[in-house]
Parts: sequence; structure tokens; C-alpha cells
Amino acid sequence: MARAALLHLLRHRSVATATAPLSAYKCLSSNSKTPSGIRWTSICRAFSSKAAVNDLIGIDMANTDSGVAVMEEKERLDPFSLVADELSLIANRLRSMVVTEVPNLASAAEYFFKIGAEGKRFRPTVLLLMATALSVRIPELPPAGVGDTLPTDLRTSQQRIAEITEMIHVASLLHDDVLDDADKRRGICSLNAVMGNKLAVLAGDFLLSRACVSLASLKNTEVVTLIATVVENLVTGETMQLTTASKQRFSMDYYMQKTYNKTASLISNSCKSIAILAGHTAEVAMLAFEYGKNLGLAFQLIDDVLDFTGTSASLGKGSLSDIRHGIITAPILFAMEEFPELHAVVDQGFKNPANVDIALGFLGKSSGIQRTKELAMKHANLAAQVIESLPESDDANVIRSRQALIDLTQRVLTRNK
Amino acid sequence: MVVAEVPKLASAAEYFFKLGVEGKRFRPTVLLLMATALNVHIPEPTAGGVGDTLTTDLRTRQQSIAEITEMIHVASLLHDDVLDDADKRRGIGSLNAVMGNKLAVLAGDFLLSRACVSLAALKNTEVVSLIATVVEHLVTGETMQMTTSSEQRCSMEYYMQKTYYKTASLISNSCKAIALLAGQTAEVAMLAFEYGKHLGLAFQLIDDVLDFTGTSASLGKGSLSDIQHGIVTAPILFAMEEFPQLHAIVYQGFDNPENVDIALEYLGKSDGIQRTRELAMKHANLAAAAIESLPESNDEQVRKSRRALVDLTQRVIMRNK
Repeated sequence: MARAALLHLLRHRSVATATAPLSAYKCLSSNSKTPSGIRWTSICRAFSSKAAVNDLIGIDMANTDSGVAVMEEKERLDPFSLVADELSLIANRLRSMVVTEVPNLASAAEYFFKIGAEGKRFRPTVLLLMATALSVRIPELPPAGVGDTLPTDLRTSQQRIAEITEMIHVASLLHDDVLDDADKRRGICSLNAVMGNKLAVLAGDFLLSRACVSLASLKNTEVVTLIATVVENLVTGETMQLTTASKQRFSMDYYMQKTYNKTASLISNSCKSIAILAGHTAEVAMLAFEYGKNLGLAFQLIDDVLDFTGTSASLGKGSLSDIRHGIITAPILFAMEEFPELHAVVDQGFKNPANVDIALGFLGKSSGIQRTKELAMKHANLAAQVIESLPESDDANVIRSRQALIDLTQRVLTRNK
Repeated sequence: MVVAEVPKLASAAEYFFKLGVEGKRFRPTVLLLMATALNVHIPEPTAGGVGDTLTTDLRTRQQSIAEITEMIHVASLLHDDVLDDADKRRGIGSLNAVMGNKLAVLAGDFLLSRACVSLAALKNTEVVSLIATVVEHLVTGETMQMTTSSEQRCSMEYYMQKTYYKTASLISNSCKAIALLAGQTAEVAMLAFEYGKHLGLAFQLIDDVLDFTGTSASLGKGSLSDIQHGIVTAPILFAMEEFPQLHAIVYQGFDNPENVDIALEYLGKSDGIQRTRELAMKHANLAAAAIESLPESNDEQVRKSRRALVDLTQRVIMRNK
């Protein structure tokens, strides 16, 4: 059918015209034993060297051989396995934190924390890695340390940031699903589909309030402010997305601002909180912020692409969920720059499926997908560079975590689900 | 700001202001009076007072509590109004229901996020914790109301717990927050809390009575809104103690209007209304006692405010609307 053909075209076209920078893997695979004292600048410099033979940036599922070879290298550095134990700890604590005496509220609140529904646990992974990556010995005590009810140690309080972040994230998902009338989320029925809109809304509020109580227990007012800002940004982002009548939704700047609010703000501000809890300088805190922000933006841009080009699970059929909901994302925005005719179609909206096909047609002719990937790459590289700029450390754990954070910037680009 | 760009969100926000005008502005009144009532000279600086970005003066910060409280109250009303599919099907236009839900959720989230930011600006983590607990209680209370089993619906204990969560927690914890911002001791903060709690409970109990007996405006005809929504309140619970037959009716529920009439009859024969009023009075008196236990003050403003707070406990009982 026409749409499938269009999508097929999108995927393979992007492979043919890729001009990808060298991935970190290629460099590392040629140094099979990484000396412990290796300086990170030498690896990061790889980002600007000549194009790789194996294009890891394009979503090229046909090219499995190099994929397998790279997988073996990836496994040695798997960022998720570095923090797997801690993640379990956090997952258990999260489950116990959303317990309540009201059974329906309890099952609503823990809906997305129960085993199997936790999602990729991407955010907590980033935060825990960041915590280790920033663990340098500081002569001063963290400034927040007033009162005798301080959490026993720094790591615990940083883990708490990961928990708080997850609760806020899930709360926003619960509300977004009500706003979108969604029936599926993370492969299972959405909570609102199962238990009703109202309970989904209440459960989201409940999680938010638990997050706030936990936040308060850290006794750090700067962190409280940062996370409160995130909550505000999430709402602003959602509101921006609903401004369907506004001309601004055709603007790339507006789109990036919205994407920052909806996706990147949470990661950036929680990364910054990790740094602040550890007592770091404002400069280091800003670096942590910038890592999170650029990672988050890259993540979302690839998400936008995948919505068109599909995932390995969906066998290449993009769900096209964004465009069907009238949400104009980066690929379409880029296509609109090349084909002004697309404006009229977008103006009409996408309730008419014929318009979706027309838009896909223009998208296929344009370099929208490619340019989005390039923009994602730019942000991923910025994130990696930030890690490189962190104050040096000789500690093996620190080095490993920083390596993993850089690794994540590539995973965000190469993921296909 | 962003709000202006989404016209309907702007009118949802306006709803908030309109509500402030239409309502009795009861909560902010209590909080501002409490702020003055606790205005005793304290040698120590305020507990939360570190950093130079503190909101300038104590009174402003306490006013902020009143604003935050109202925002949370309205946010909870908006979220409580979110409809489930069953309600959508009862003849409400599907588009309206969907738009209505979206706006209700988004507007509520908007208010909650504004409350969070304002709360953070107070730079007092104990207050953050208190107010966050309020949100949790509001949600718990509403969920309790939505999901009661038949047994729980017949329990006075369950009912009082739900009432605390839904109504009294907000006032009690914000009164306590007022005290904390003023740097008061834990004992005084508890007295402020107790005042708010008992006042809130008394308020709700009289609300329950008025739903049956009506107001001066309605010339004695109660709106019966609670029972028609299947919400079993204190008067009925008391009546059930005297007339166990009423249990069966309550179990059946009140979709059938006949059951409403039967229940009203039992209520009329029972002391349900009277005992509810007595319980309200007991709580009102406890609230007044809390004020009287506050550390003495010679300041005229302070004394006037305390008298007003005591006066409010009586108004809550005597009101007929």
C-alpha cells in the first residue's frame, strides 16, 4: 500500500545519503584492551574524524553483520549493566513509595512501576551514572546540610533524585494519556483505559505529591526549586503542544522550546540536581545540566524520526502517531522549509488520512528525516563533549561512568525502538 | 505568558478567579487571621530563612501560603470534575466531554505547577512537605469517595477519615505552614494545625446537614445532592445506627429515587441531623480551645485576630448557607 512504500523509501533513503561521523565503537573496537589511564579526549576526537564505513547513524536494519560486531563491543560497556543493581534498589523503593491505604489508588499509582511495565529506565540510568561520574572528593561539605534529618549519605540522596524524577515522569505520562485519549502505553493498556480518566488523573496527582514530599526531605531548597521548575515546564510544554491554532507550531524554534519543556527539562534539571547535591561548583552543575539537556533533545528528535520510519519490533512501519494527532515534529518542519506547499496541508490538519499520505509524500521527497537525524547527532555530540569537559579524575569508576554516559549519547542515536 | 495563547486555558484560569469571587474566600480569611494571631515577637530568625532569594517579608510569605492553598484547592476541584467514560455516555456530547476533560486536567496541572513554583520560592522544605501532603490527602480523599465498598460507606470512622482528607487537611496543614513560616515552636504549630483541622471538620459536618435541611435561600429544601450521588454522609450514618433497616437501603444505593425517599424518612425519624450538629459543635469548640491555648499576647491586633478566629468557629456552626 502506498503509505508502506513511502515509509520504506524514507528509511532507505536516509542510509544512502548518510554522512555520519565515526562512532565511538569503531574507535574502541580497534583498542581491544582499553588501558585504564586512557584519556577521553582521544576517544572523543573520534567524533570529528572521517565518515565511518558502517553507518551506525542510519536506521539500517538490513546491515546485520556490522551490527553484530558492534554489539559485542557494546556489551563490554553496557551503561545499563553498570547501574543494574542500583536500578533494582530504586525500583523497589519506588514501589514502596507509592503504597497507600486506598487499594484503587495504590494499584493506579504503581501501574507503571510494577515489574514489566517500568520502561527502559533510561532517566534513572543517566542520573546514577552522572552521580558516579561526578564523584570527586570535595573538601567542603554540601551546602545543603542543615538539620539532623539529612539522608545518611550522598548516594542515597542522589538515588532519591532518580526516584523523584521517575515519579514525576510517570505522573506526566498518566496525565498525557488522559489528554491524548491514549489506550496503550509501554505495550500495555494505558491506566485511563483500564481504570478510567479520573483515577488516572488522581494517580498522577498522587505521584506528584509523593515526589514533592520526597523532594522536601532532601532539605535542599535549590534542588526543590529546580524540580518545581521541571513540573512547570512539563505543563508549559503540554500547553504549547495543544496550541494547534497557533502559527507558532510551524516554527522550529517553538518546536525545540516545546521539546525542551516536555522532554529535556526533566533530565537536564535532575542532572543538575545530582551535581548540586554533591556540592559541586556552579560550573560543573551547568555541565551536568547541559549533558542532560542535549541528551534529552537528541532522544526526542530520534523519537520523532522513529515515529515515521518505524522500529525493529514494528518491522519498519512507523506508527505515525504524532502526525495523526496533529503533532508536527522536526522531520515535517524541515520538509516544510523545502516544500512550502506542505503548509497548506498542515493547516488543514490530519483528520483526513489523505492529508497524512500527502504529507508523507512531501516528507519522502525532502531531506526532513536526514536533517532531523543530523540535528540529533549534533546534540548527542554536544552532550558527549560536555562529559569530556568535566574536571579530570583518575578513579576507575568515575572514568567508566563517564565512558558510559558518552556511550549513551550514541545509543540514543542508534536505537531503533 | 503561555496561558494567553490557549484561549480556553485562559478561561479555565479565569474560572479560578471567578471562583474566588463567588466563594466565601473562607480559607484565605482563616489563614490571614491566623498569620496575625500568631504575630508574637520571636527573637530567632525564621526557620527557613537561608539565602538571599528569600521572599522579602514574613507577611508576604504567609500571603503566598494563602495563594498556594487556593490554587491547590481549585486544582483539586478541576481534577475531581474529570469525567470517566460512563459519564461521557450519559448524553454529553463526546467532543465536549473530551475537551472538557483535557482542559480540566491541563488547567489543574497548570495551577499545581504554579503552586509548586511558589512553594519552592518560600525556601522552606518543611512547608513544601506539608503542602505536598495536602495534595496527597486531597487525592486520597477523593479516591476514597469514588471507590468505597458498601461496608466502608456505612462506617463513621471511614467517613471522618475521608472528610479529614478531602476538607480539613488543606486548612489544617496550611495553618501549620503559617505558623512555621513565622518561626513558631512545634507546639504552637500543632495548635494552629488543630484549629484548622477542627474548623474544617465542623465546616463539613454542617455542610452535610445543610444538604438535607436546606438553606435560607432555598426556603428549607435541601438540595440532597450528596445522597443522590450515592455519597453517604454523617446524618445518614447516625440514622443507620438507630435504624439498622437503613443498611439494606444504603447497600442498594440511591440510583432509584425511591430509596432516597425511604432514607429521608428514616432520617426524619432519627436523631441523625441533631447528632451531626452536636458533633460539629464539638469540633468547633475544640477549634476555639486551640486558639485560647496560644501563648498570650498583649498586642491589640493579635487579640482581635484571635477573637475573629474564635468567632469563625461559631459562624461555621450557625451558618445556614
